[in-house]
Amino acid sequence: MKNLTIHAASYLGPEGFGNGQTGLRAWPSPLAENLSRGELDGLHWSLLSDSDPSRFLRMDLMCRIGFMVTELLAVNFDALPDARRDRLGVCVESFTGSLDTDIRFAQTPRPSIFAYTLPSTVIGEICIRHRLKGPVLSLISPDTKGANALAEAAEWLRAGDAEMVLCLGIEAMNVSTAKSISLPEQLSPRGWHGTALLLGRSENSAREKTSTTVTLVDECRKLCFHRTQR
Amino acid sequence: MNKIAIAGCGVVTAAGLGMEALQRAVFSNASALQRRELLIGKTSQSVVAGFVADEITAQLRGADAAHADSRAFLFAAAALREAVKNAATILASVPAARRGFVLSTTKANIEALDKLVRQQPASDLAQRQIQPAFLAADLAAAFDCRGPVQCVSAACISGLSALQQGAVIIRRGLADVVLVAGVDLISQFVLSGFNSLKSLDPEGCRPFDKSRIGLSLGEGAAAIILAKRELVSSPAILLSGAGTSNDANHLTGPSRDGSGLALAIQRALAKAQITPDKIDYVNAHGTGTPYNDAMESLALRSVFGERVPPFSSNKGIFGHTLGMAGVLETALCVAVLQNNLLPGTPRLRERDPAVPDSLLVEPRAVANLNYILKINCGFGGTNAALVLQRELP
Repeated sequence: MKNLTIHAASYLGPEGFGNGQTGLRAWPSPLAENLSRGELDGLHWSLLSDSDPSRFLRMDLMCRIGFMVTELLAVNFDALPDARRDRLGVCVESFTGSLDTDIRFAQTPRPSIFAYTLPSTVIGEICIRHRLKGPVLSLISPDTKGANALAEAAEWLRAGDAEMVLCLGIEAMNVSTAKSISLPEQLSPRGWHGTALLLGRSENSAREKTSTTVTLVDECRKLCFHRTQR
Repeated sequence: MNKIAIAGCGVVTAAGLGMEALQRAVFSNASALQRRELLIGKTSQSVVAGFVADEITAQLRGADAAHADSRAFLFAAAALREAVKNAATILASVPAARRGFVLSTTKANIEALDKLVRQQPASDLAQRQIQPAFLAADLAAAFDCRGPVQCVSAACISGLSALQQGAVIIRRGLADVVLVAGVDLISQFVLSGFNSLKSLDPEGCRPFDKSRIGLSLGEGAAAIILAKRELVSSPAILLSGAGTSNDANHLTGPSRDGSGLALAIQRALAKAQITPDKIDYVNAHGTGTPYNDAMESLALRSVFGERVPPFSSNKGIFGHTLGMAGVLETALCVAVLQNNLLPGTPRLRERDPAVPDSLLVEPRAVANLNYILKINCGFGGTNAALVLQRELP
């Protein structure tokens, strides 16, 4: 994390949702009970905002979580000039990826969900909403901590390939979806969360973040949970 | 900055097993697309696609019973075996801990998920390899790669993105060689999806044709071994630049103006430190869908002006192989550089007048090739470009 600036951090998971500025808020009941059991279908945009982007309703779980956690960053991407949005990259890492949607599509093929059977679709949704045209990367990894996403984002910034990077770690799968086809244990959900960091290169050594944390999820949790405890 | 060279390639496609079979098809402008009657959902339909021949699958199953019902593993392992054989001398000098592995795929061994949903039997390995990261881990272990292992799943730019990641792993000093493999299957799942979007041409794709109406799916695997430049003898073929972008426009359709793809191309050219006029040939994405090919034409004009280099699409040979397309088509470009022979655009009947007239209809021999641009685009508005360079002797 050396030589990087964290512009914003956000978290969405069983414990609540929020960002590094405000800390976490708890989920309302009875949604909280469902989320703690790994049933995620109740996650809805209206929990964050009165506005209701029509796209949200067609999205799968992975996109909904990615979309919401990006919104939770509370970054006004619209205020950035086009030239800076062209140099804002998006990097996502996941273990479960689109598996929840894959299973639903395999059970009942519908054209409206086919585009969501790709773990990279969440990048498209976020880029469309915020008009981001920078470099993109979508990784599937055996762990759920987002260590690779953070390393790759740092590499883009170091190499000058991007001015800022939206780095996302998303695990999004309903326990009931996995049970509906007796999915093998090793492919089953390992918890769920959405984590986001907006990273930039440090122009000022006083603002550098030097951290021993090497995973995206740990860094987001540290920043968002720390504020809550205070 | 460390230069990255290509040390070996291997493929399994509708054109056959191995690079020689692919080159025969490409340089004779022959299509390997076939018609089969297949069940899509509950209906039997006639499908024209680039299927790997049953004889090849049977041969691979016979040699590896443990993976008999994981075609994804069998195909990828076959492509890797050929690439490893071609790079045997180099690999022998690199310890396993310095060998990285990157897999590109959209759906890995998706056939096992189709079986699970239909309550049909699938082996534990086949089920495990539904998960792209596990398929990557299993292939890395089978080829004794104990360095960094990654899996890229980014729709139809997965292959180029994986090659870019392989290069980054070497440049960061994390490995001396990286085995990059791409694999995807024609499955019930994928057929249902593209059929439901009405993206398939029932008679087989005709990229850049005036009457094109859709794509043909393809399947198989491809592998490319990337190595630190100093490990490969001269003159080497270099991966000299790569770039990606997003259209920020539409999930399943390309931008209408080609600006997103143009951005990815400009990023790759900048990384390669060359101007557009240095490009001798462009290997296009060229799926055969009306919107993709129109968008690509605009992107090429935007970057190259009225002097668009000779370009072609080879998906009329082996179909659109999705997550492996970038690796397969880059392997083909390596053969193009080695042979000084530009591929044509099989199945083309009449060029769309909106398409630049430098489109290659038939293969063409050329005196000297130095730089090739490879491009792919995908769902989610993703674009990728990669520059290959043949060093001068």
